[in-house]
Amino acid sequence: MRIIAEGAEAQVFKAVLLGDTVIVKTRKAKGYRIKAIDDDIRASRTRIEARVMERAHSSGIMVPRLIAVDSFSIYMGLVDGKLMKDARIRKDSYGRLGRILGIMHNADIVHGDFTPANIMVAKDGLYVIDFGLSGISKSHEEKALDVLLMKRSLGESQYRWFIDGYTHSGRESKAIMGRLAEIELRGRYQVRTLG
Amino acid sequence: MLVMGIESSAHTFGVGIVRNGRILANEKSMYRIGTTGMIPAKVAQFHSENASEVMGRALSAAKIGFEDLDGIGYTMGPGMGHCLQVGALSAKTVARMLRIPIAPVNHAVGHIEIVRHLSGMKDPLALYVSGGNSQILKRSDGHFPHYRVLGETFDIGVGNMLDTFARKMKLDPAWGSSVEKKAMGGRYMKMPYTVKGMDFSFTGLLTHSMKQIGHAKDSDICFSLQETAFSMLCEATERALLLTNSKELEVCGGVAQNSRLREMLASIAKEHGARFGSVEKQYDADNGAMIAVVAERMLKKGMDESIGNCGISQRYRADSARLAGA
Ligand SMILES: Nc1ncnc2c1ncn2[C@@H]1O[C@H](COP(=O)(O)OP(=O)(O)O)[C@@H](O)[C@H]1O
Ligand SMILES: [Mg+2]
Repeated sequence: MRIIAEGAEAQVFKAVLLGDTVIVKTRKAKGYRIKAIDDDIRASRTRIEARVMERAHSSGIMVPRLIAVDSFSIYMGLVDGKLMKDARIRKDSYGRLGRILGIMHNADIVHGDFTPANIMVAKDGLYVIDFGLSGISKSHEEKALDVLLMKRSLGESQYRWFIDGYTHSGRESKAIMGRLAEIELRGRYQVRTLG
Repeated sequence: MLVMGIESSAHTFGVGIVRNGRILANEKSMYRIGTTGMIPAKVAQFHSENASEVMGRALSAAKIGFEDLDGIGYTMGPGMGHCLQVGALSAKTVARMLRIPIAPVNHAVGHIEIVRHLSGMKDPLALYVSGGNSQILKRSDGHFPHYRVLGETFDIGVGNMLDTFARKMKLDPAWGSSVEKKAMGGRYMKMPYTVKGMDFSFTGLLTHSMKQIGHAKDSDICFSLQETAFSMLCEATERALLLTNSKELEVCGGVAQNSRLREMLASIAKEHGARFGSVEKQYDADNGAMIAVVAERMLKKGMDESIGNCGISQRYRADSARLAGA
């Protein structure tokens, strides 16, 4: 097992399982809180992350293949590609990324950390990864925050291409964009994420 | 410089005196909350009756007279309007009488800065936990030097949550200290836990734990409530610590007096190689010294305000207060 990433909550490993290279994402134990709470939180978040990945898959977008889930770990297929934040991508990919978010939102999936650090570019297309902060919600506010987070990470024209795609596939994209304008007007809301 | 600071945003009327950053006095009188909660007008009246006595006590403790003061500061907000008025009025009276400069201070900034000052930190990530507020902040020099709010409560402050619960359980509502005592020897029962990134929410937890009263052991409820609330705060704080790559972490505000919370935060800091700063309890509770410390810095930078402009602001957010610098 080789560790490839370590965030606030989880460690991500590469491991070999039955001859295949797989990715294992494990929620680390937190020594500061009592074990009962710690086990509970880690287990329920692991369950939610796996459930949302499944839902994203059945809604028709590309996510890593879910292989297995145990108490605190998710085993998934390796995506052979680069993170979008490190890859050079073509113009039409931004539109496709927007369409992907629209499809997710149609299925009431909010990602919670929708940045180029959580999108992978592979030969067969764009994969959405890291559903660690995601959830199932109809809330326009939460959906608008997904859009806002990506907006903060893209250039102006890239964002426009992205939004073209988003409004194309997203059924409630108009209302959500309206909500986004409100949030930005409120101004106080800051994007708070680890990327 | 010799500066007096007056704090009166809630149930404490506090007067502190500093000379070049050294605290010479930190006196206070506290309104007893009792079981009815705080009625702002009553607390304000209590403050006006005690104002001159507490100021007198602070001057004697510092072994100075009024005429020695070079400046004065007061809490402009956030807080309860009636109460803030008393402090502002006292400070303006002194400033007018002595013809000394006056500085309006943000209450939250006072809490953060006194801990930073006394623990000798440069640029800490701050967890500010008081009755009305719970926020995670870090200094930012963007548009103007201020404390940026990285995360905060969606609804009530953790202190108010603990107090409301304590009253319901007929404990003495003293900033969570009674819940902390009752929690001793308690056993964990599952409670709602709500963290979203670096923000958190306490109403679900409060409602749930109040419903348990009478159905479970008091100590079990207190223990579970406290552990859950603090775990939430700690999780959000840890995320902010990693995001900002901070090597210093401080806790401030009334609830910072809780030793379990301190222990948990110290453990997070240790794990990430950060220094943890906390101070003597009298400086975590509302106090005048924190206002004096900030006011002195502001006055030294020429950030005084004309008496006519010295008002109060019940919703004065920490992130809109300009900092005076180190
Ligand atoms: N299925 C996968 N295939 C290939 N790499 C992955 C996969 N899942 C995660 N990674 C790598 O691990 C990193 C961290 O994973 P992520 O799920 O984003 O966790 P975190 O919550 O720590 O951000 C990603 O940035 C990516 O480089
Ligand atoms: Mg990630």
